[in-house]
Amino acid sequence: MTATLHVTFRVGNATYAVAASDVLHLESYDTATHVPGAPSYVAGLVQVRGRLVPVIDLRIRFGLPPADASAPGPPASQAAIDRRVVVLQLGTRVAGLVVDSAREVLKIEDTAFERPPEIVVHQTAGFVKAVATVAKRMYLLVDLPRILGEELDHG
Amino acid sequence: MTERVDLQEFIGGFVVEAAELVTAANAALLEIEAGHAEGTSRPKAVRDVFRALHTIKGLAGMVGVEAIVDIAHGLETLIRTADRAGGQLSRAAVEVALQGVRAIGERVRAVSEQRTPAAAPPRLLEAIASTDATGDAPAVAPQVSAELDARLSPSERAQLANAVAAGAPAWMLSFAPSESNAARGVTIGSVRSRLATLGEIVKVAPRTVTGPSGAQLGIAFDILVVSSAPRETLADAIAASLESVAPVLAPPPPPVAQAPLPAGPGAEPSTRELAERDDATADVVPIGRAVIRVELSRLDELQEQLSLLTVSRFRLEREIAAMADAGHDVRRLRQVADLQGRQLRDLRRAILRARMVRVAEVLEPLSLLVRSLARSSERAVRLELDARDTELDKAVADRLLPAMVHLVRNAVDHAIEPAAERRARGKPEAGTIRVACTEIAGNQLELVVSDDGRGIDRAAIARRSERTIDHDADLLDVLCGPGFSTRDVATRTSGRGLGMDIVRRIAVSDLGGELRLATTPGAGTSFTMRIPLTISIVEVFAFACGRQAFVVPVSAIEEIFEIADAGITPPSAPGGRSQVSLLERRGRAIPMFSLGRELAIDDGAAARKAMVIRRGGEAVAFSVDRMLGRQEVVVRAIDDPLVQAPGIAGATDLGDGRPTLVLDLGELGLAARERQLP
Repeated sequence: MTATLHVTFRVGNATYAVAASDVLHLESYDTATHVPGAPSYVAGLVQVRGRLVPVIDLRIRFGLPPADASAPGPPASQAAIDRRVVVLQLGTRVAGLVVDSAREVLKIEDTAFERPPEIVVHQTAGFVKAVATVAKRMYLLVDLPRILGEELDHG
Repeated sequence: MTERVDLQEFIGGFVVEAAELVTAANAALLEIEAGHAEGTSRPKAVRDVFRALHTIKGLAGMVGVEAIVDIAHGLETLIRTADRAGGQLSRAAVEVALQGVRAIGERVRAVSEQRTPAAAPPRLLEAIASTDATGDAPAVAPQVSAELDARLSPSERAQLANAVAAGAPAWMLSFAPSESNAARGVTIGSVRSRLATLGEIVKVAPRTVTGPSGAQLGIAFDILVVSSAPRETLADAIAASLESVAPVLAPPPPPVAQAPLPAGPGAEPSTRELAERDDATADVVPIGRAVIRVELSRLDELQEQLSLLTVSRFRLEREIAAMADAGHDVRRLRQVADLQGRQLRDLRRAILRARMVRVAEVLEPLSLLVRSLARSSERAVRLELDARDTELDKAVADRLLPAMVHLVRNAVDHAIEPAAERRARGKPEAGTIRVACTEIAGNQLELVVSDDGRGIDRAAIARRSERTIDHDADLLDVLCGPGFSTRDVATRTSGRGLGMDIVRRIAVSDLGGELRLATTPGAGTSFTMRIPLTISIVEVFAFACGRQAFVVPVSAIEEIFEIADAGITPPSAPGGRSQVSLLERRGRAIPMFSLGRELAIDDGAAARKAMVIRRGGEAVAFSVDRMLGRQEVVVRAIDDPLVQAPGIAGATDLGDGRPTLVLDLGELGLAARERQLP
């Protein structure tokens, strides 16, 4: 059996996973430069170690209310402090995902992943490609090309 | 020299440059010849010939074409003599020089056609060596006092002679700067520019003014000018009395002495004939067809056209979407549109590629640098250059080289140990500096400068800087700190520091890249730089709109003005998306769009400024909240499809570490106008 290292992160009340080999780094997130005309789920551009990186707000991508609305006011600003950008490399593209929090790096057995129930695939618009249960916790493996809108690049 | 670099890589560059220099040398020689016909000398042209030949010699040496080196060397010697003698080149010398330059041109052509160039003809070399450089040159010896003559250089003497031969008298002016003069704005600078309008300044020589007791009273300038202006005007120009303007020599008696030099049949060929003869020879067939030089502005023009094409593509997309909404079958139409989209992207890539230069060529000077540094520091150092087939934008290349020079120089100066020390450590006597370059994901280039030297002594640097250094990243921070230089540190033990702040500034701030360091004591150090393949430097206006800062190239803006009132708003057709208002500007009605509304970021703040652009003859204005300033920025392409949108041309950093968008108002203007028009 082989196990693959994954970076896990939270968005809303679910925990997601991406293969650590796709992750360049984790950065704290403050704000992004809004790009008028870009898809609504694109939070904008950030500069990470001198590189321009487009970032996707996963809450918007997943159809959740914006973070600001769900955690208003200074007392709740812990939420803002916890937010992270998971910087990914996919082929020649580099992009970031804004997530509610990201701390854990976890080895997950390849066999632990199962195809999610059809209704979940449908409901998440194909963003979730597998589910793994480790120590009674569920991790949703995301389909990065789909989230990054690979179809955008192919006309 | 590095074994890994193929000489062939430089041949293309050599051919282009040498061919240009041959052309320049020919042009200058012909100008000197024209001077002969008029009886004047052309010291500047002589100098140009000298420079061209000197450069050709150096280039030919680098690619090892000895035949060209030999001919250029002979000519260089000949022309240096003429240059030292005041820039007069005899007709015989011009003739032999033209022959020599032609022989060089033939050999450059041979190189470009990958033939072995013929050896330098011994008869030509002999002819060059035996030619009298200055012999029969037009001798219009100026009759000036011996005292003045002694102060003039040969070329100044020739300049004086030429000016006087042209019919103007020469004057010696004495200008004494003083507080009262300065108060009236009369300084040596203003005097110079004033005199330059009245005639030709030959020499300005400062001299100390001493009082009767020998005490220094101040400084005065002797200015030798040739001018037809009246003496009074000259005196006025230096704010002094007539006594300060002394005639030096009167113009020579006209025509007779200035009779044209013989140019009849049998005499020297005239300039015209020479030029024609040159046209008739193979010299005019261009050398090195494979490479041409193109003004960057022409490539910019291409990019401009491309952005127009992009706009019309957006329009096409909209039409297809509208048809689909109306229930038409648009599958085949969409296939074509998709194909066109890919072709547009390919075109954009092709245009970017046209701005690329080979990294191997860019870094080539490092070989010479290492060779000379190694010699002066008496160390054996070998440079390995491995740039493979990487290429990068010309603008990046120009900025990159100084950083690489710093890194390589530091490695030779501080990292590589003296031979004895290396022997004692069991290392090969010759140190190795390796510069490797690979293209990595995200349109970036990774450059690694590594050495097998002594490594950096962290502990010593930590003591010195009074900081704890846990990682190489901390170490790099200290090394790149302002004011940290090897002068502050015991060089032998601590390694580098020299100019590291400059290296980081270039890599990170100027190029938007990153810099890393890894060092192992005793084994060596490597610096890794990641930089984008393309950048462009643009002067921009920064402005605020909808709580966001943007910049726009200064070149795109025709005018910026305060909006006194909101203008008038013509009635809007039903379903019209954006509103156009009309502004009166110098008797013309200009359509104005709200930029905030165009970009859908309007926050209701009152727009106070309007920026006018012109596209295809018609002016269009955009209203924005307020202007923030004007500065030069590095514009970086945004190529990820997630953030490509009409009117967004790229991003830059205004210094706050956040991206600021660069707008293409022309594209937005077109898009807005097309939306308005049916």
